Amino acid sequence: MVWPAPSQTPPGAPQTNSPGTLNVVVLDPAHGGTDLGARGTEGIRESEVVLQFAAQVRKALEAQGFQVVQTREGNENPSFDDRSARANAQRGAVFISLHVASTGLAGTARVYTMPDLPSANDGSGLIIWDRAQAPFTTLSHKLGNMVQAELARRFKGSPAEAQVAPVRQLRTTAAPAIAVEISSVSVADRTTLDRMIPGVAEAIARAVTAFKPTYVVPLIAPAAPGVHR
Amino acid sequence: MNTRWQIWLAMVLLAAVIGAALYFPALRHQVNKAKELTQKTAEQARRELLPPAPVASGDPRVKAKMFWGTREQDGKLSPVTVELPLSSDPALRAKQVLNTLLAGPVDPESRTLPPDAALLALYLLPDGTAVADFSEAIGTSIPSGIQSEQLAVDSIARTLEANIPQVQRLKILIHGQEADTLAGHLDLTQTFPVNTKILSMVPPTTEPPPAMNPANPAEKP
Repeated sequence: MVWPAPSQTPPGAPQTNSPGTLNVVVLDPAHGGTDLGARGTEGIRESEVVLQFAAQVRKALEAQGFQVVQTREGNENPSFDDRSARANAQRGAVFISLHVASTGLAGTARVYTMPDLPSANDGSGLIIWDRAQAPFTTLSHKLGNMVQAELARRFKGSPAEAQVAPVRQLRTTAAPAIAVEISSVSVADRTTLDRMIPGVAEAIARAVTAFKPTYVVPLIAPAAPGVHR
Repeated sequence: MNTRWQIWLAMVLLAAVIGAALYFPALRHQVNKAKELTQKTAEQARRELLPPAPVASGDPRVKAKMFWGTREQDGKLSPVTVELPLSSDPALRAKQVLNTLLAGPVDPESRTLPPDAALLALYLLPDGTAVADFSEAIGTSIPSGIQSEQLAVDSIARTLEANIPQVQRLKILIHGQEADTLAGHLDLTQTFPVNTKILSMVPPTTEPPPAMNPANPAEKP
């Protein structure tokens, strides 16, 4: 199973996503449903806050011409694999998982990317699902650094560069993938988090736009979940 | 029913509604607190049943480095030197240092692991993989988040690295089972390299160990 060869759009045909380049951003508001994620003493729930962040990030990205797909839009809790499957079904996508931490300096934001994984190609032309991120770690780190730089500019105390951590959600995602974690649900006042929403949205949209020219879609497709486990 | 009685009845109903609105959140809070207390008590009881960290009277007291958090730097670890009686056997030594790590630093704010978490068993495989089996509290009591989960695993890996050179990799089990994540974020399906500065994942070089029987921690894989 490989990506089909890029097709030419006939002149005059409606504008569609160009194959091989970045067109789609998959936003992943983490947790949901019975999984509330991090919970603050003031009743702040990560699963709810990330939906608000996602809505603003979506608007900012759409304003830049990107198509945005969300892994959840309401209070559902898709599995890690279901979320990755949404991303892996897209062509020319990047994946951004949104989190709010329990810890960390209030008003800061950190970006995480996966460490290098062993090769995900077993010779069949398919990417092993469990290591679908393997061919993308360099691109993920590049995107992560770009997003982190924009966040650091807006939120004092945030790191200057993206950090590496084996985040489960990113491992099965066959696209440049990052996790953005905002601090934190432990703020005394919810407005501290609300005030961060426009800055986070703008930072992500600017970084993804700047990343677009460097994005080249590999000509391999991930196997379905359950294959090559 | 005359108007006066209707007013009285309406007032009584209003008082009942206001009373319920005030009482039910307080009741829910109390129920949640009691539930939390019961869970903690169960976890603490389980921990008390565990055999204490094996310390032989002949174990020499040596300086060991523990990696706990720091108040000064958000999300960073700092080595703290403590003097402990440590076995020369690497597996026993690994248990001893991890139990000390779990017991926590003097400053509770510098903890990286939940106070009610316990090390149920630790095995050192011939290829240098340390299989550390923790109680459920390591996942349920840890603050949820990528940063806090990474700090927890990093503190375990770096403490092993500093004190047991034989340990090459770390595999974390929760109550004898392989868990998908620590607390919803950090991937526990793979092993973590020890003796490297940056944590990254490596595929297991041997078959993953079979799930251990928590009822019999002495049973080795």
